[in-house]
Amino acid sequence: MIKNSALPLGRISLFLAILVWLALLLVDLVRIFGMINNLDSGVSEEVTWILEILFFIFIYLVYRRIFWKNKQSDFLTLIWRGVSTGLFAASAGLLTEVIYLALGESKIGTDPFLRNVFYHINFALTSAFLIFTTLLWKHLILYQKNKQVVNQWQVFELSMLGALFFVFFNHNNLDYSFLFGLTILLVISILLAVNLKWIPYLNFKEKWKTLLFLFLIMGCAGVLFYRVLDSGNEGNLQINLTDNLFLMALFGFVFVYGLFSFLVTLFNLPTSSVFEQKLTEAINFQKLSQSIQPEESEEQVLDILLDSCISASFSDSAWIELNPKESFQVKNPLRFLDESTKTEIRSLLPQETQSWVPASMAEAPQAQAIRIAHANYKSALVVHLLVNKSILARIVLIKEVKEGFNKEMIGIIGTFARQACISVENHRLLNQAIENERYQEELKIAQRVQKALLPLKLDHPASFDICAYSNTADEVGGDYYDTYQVDETHFVLIMGDVSGKGTSAAFHMAQMKGVFQSLIQLGIHPAEFMNKANAALSKCLERNHFITASIFEIDTVNNSFCHARAGHIPTLWYKADKKGADFISIEGLGLGIVRNPSYKNHVQEETFEYRSGDILVLLTDGILEGRKETGEQFGYDRIKKIVEEHHQKSPIQLQQEIIDSLHQFVGGDGMIDDDYSLMVVKFK
Amino acid sequence: MLQLERIKEGNKDILRLIGEVDASNSVLLDQSMQEILQQGATFLLIDGNQLGYISSAGLGVFMSYLDDFSEQGIRFAIFGLNDQVTEVFKILGLDRLIQIVPDKSTAITLGNEP
Repeated sequence: MIKNSALPLGRISLFLAILVWLALLLVDLVRIFGMINNLDSGVSEEVTWILEILFFIFIYLVYRRIFWKNKQSDFLTLIWRGVSTGLFAASAGLLTEVIYLALGESKIGTDPFLRNVFYHINFALTSAFLIFTTLLWKHLILYQKNKQVVNQWQVFELSMLGALFFVFFNHNNLDYSFLFGLTILLVISILLAVNLKWIPYLNFKEKWKTLLFLFLIMGCAGVLFYRVLDSGNEGNLQINLTDNLFLMALFGFVFVYGLFSFLVTLFNLPTSSVFEQKLTEAINFQKLSQSIQPEESEEQVLDILLDSCISASFSDSAWIELNPKESFQVKNPLRFLDESTKTEIRSLLPQETQSWVPASMAEAPQAQAIRIAHANYKSALVVHLLVNKSILARIVLIKEVKEGFNKEMIGIIGTFARQACISVENHRLLNQAIENERYQEELKIAQRVQKALLPLKLDHPASFDICAYSNTADEVGGDYYDTYQVDETHFVLIMGDVSGKGTSAAFHMAQMKGVFQSLIQLGIHPAEFMNKANAALSKCLERNHFITASIFEIDTVNNSFCHARAGHIPTLWYKADKKGADFISIEGLGLGIVRNPSYKNHVQEETFEYRSGDILVLLTDGILEGRKETGEQFGYDRIKKIVEEHHQKSPIQLQQEIIDSLHQFVGGDGMIDDDYSLMVVKFK
Repeated sequence: MLQLERIKEGNKDILRLIGEVDASNSVLLDQSMQEILQQGATFLLIDGNQLGYISSAGLGVFMSYLDDFSEQGIRFAIFGLNDQVTEVFKILGLDRLIQIVPDKSTAITLGNEP
């Protein structure tokens, strides 16, 4: 039925204890019967002692079990249990006394057997009370354990174990060895009794209760002790269970520790408010450091801070003022005073405490105690909260007494203020990090959108090959290239570069794409395109922005291209027949520089004939201006040389060759601090 | 890195550019130009002897004042640019709109012509 692992040890022990007690009672009655009738009962006194020891052990096991189950209970609950056990045992003892008083000298009143039954009952209850209280004291002594205390306790336990068996040596006599043993155990008890660290954790009210409980325990112990002595002196009792060293030592220990605890608790009463205050401060401090949660607001932090400061300094009134620059509000900035009193006191504070500009950037000004001449309030403490080099808020604490803020208060309030500032700062940093993350996401979207503005597929006939590449210095950039097929034999290529880089350049690049795709549908030629593009862009570019562009209109029937350049980097033209490359020189002003019809005087177009094997390389200045650590630029000549050297390669190979050379040139420490793009065309 | 020095010589305001003008510091150049114009300059010279590099953003600053110069009759010239920087002005076509001269004395004679 019952599994081994689930044995109710407590109940078994209790059952055994009762069993042993009954056996003890029986044995003793038999012995008394023998003694009265001068018969040899055949039961030696050792049997009594063994049963007595067994009884102590089982009672100990029962209570140890109970303590083990209730180890989480608070002190008062446990002490109360001790009190109730004690009261029960003591009242049982007193009741016996009363009964015997009533019985007087009647037959029953003098009956040794009945007397012995009562004696055994009282003995059992007294033992139970003493063992329970000892275990209670153990719990209290070991509340804040260290190795030394644990060792002391173990010595005490071993000595008690020795005392348990002392009866075999001493045969229940109150001789010198008994007194010697008792003295040793009392000394150990006194040594243990200084471990009273549980007392400061009680609050004021709990201390009062504890005093009462300890008093009751000592009272019960006293009554029971008196009764034990009394019954020990009665001549008509042949069997003595209570002149036992173990029991006497328990009395001693219970009483000594109870007395010490009582006195220490009593003397701790006046200072308990200080300890409670420190505990509140620690809790407040923890609250301030915990309120960093992103969903909590700065207002809550300040609210907790204001309350903490008031309780730490026992202020009569206080208020908090926020820097007018802050965007949030504190719900109830005034504590225990009204707006008009605040204004009165505010006018009494020195000017330097009213400023919102911190005197020192690095450190918050020290909390400042000020004497004020107000009808009700005599002293004030001003605390500034410095967050990110500006004053977030100031707290003014006021008291009705003069010089009401001592050094400790100012110190703890300063600590509170700093912790609150850290909380607010962390809170802001966290929000900033979240915001930054969002911007990064937005930029990624912008990057994706912009990539889509550059053509994936470049329009071209079978008569020439083409490829293009673009890279941005930031997430988005201002380089632009595109193609357009006018008809079967006419193709337009464009390469553009917006001044500056980054987001603003990216917007203008998008405008350039719109301008190109609209104007080119009109079938206009390069110079006219530039003219119209300049007119259109003049309306939408910022005053200090411009766009440069190169445009080619390729005619695959006549093997020619018409070209115009608007301030853009000249295009490199490799001529197969001459086996050499040159930059096409043609005049042209950037778009958006001259914003009136006179622009047409600044742009021209020219038609060139190309041959099979000719190559055009359109560039942006990012390639030319790629720089080594020394400051040397990639420049025109290097590109020229690369193209001449690799002219037999396909456009895509040639393009890769240029990009690789550029990266090799700038090296790890150099930089390409601009967007760069190129487009390579090779005629078949 | 860009350092700007302003020198007043008679009726001439000289703005000396030392270092490099790029997207990050073109704002400083713009501020200086604006200050000089607000103080009623009539003859503005840019000393580019120590200018190592100018990006398109820097060119944009000069460009944005061209209308102001012609409207207010302010004479404007740049002198002392190295070849590389001169090339940048030329490619954009700004050399047609801004007087770019080799040295200070040429700039002053040009400026003295009506």
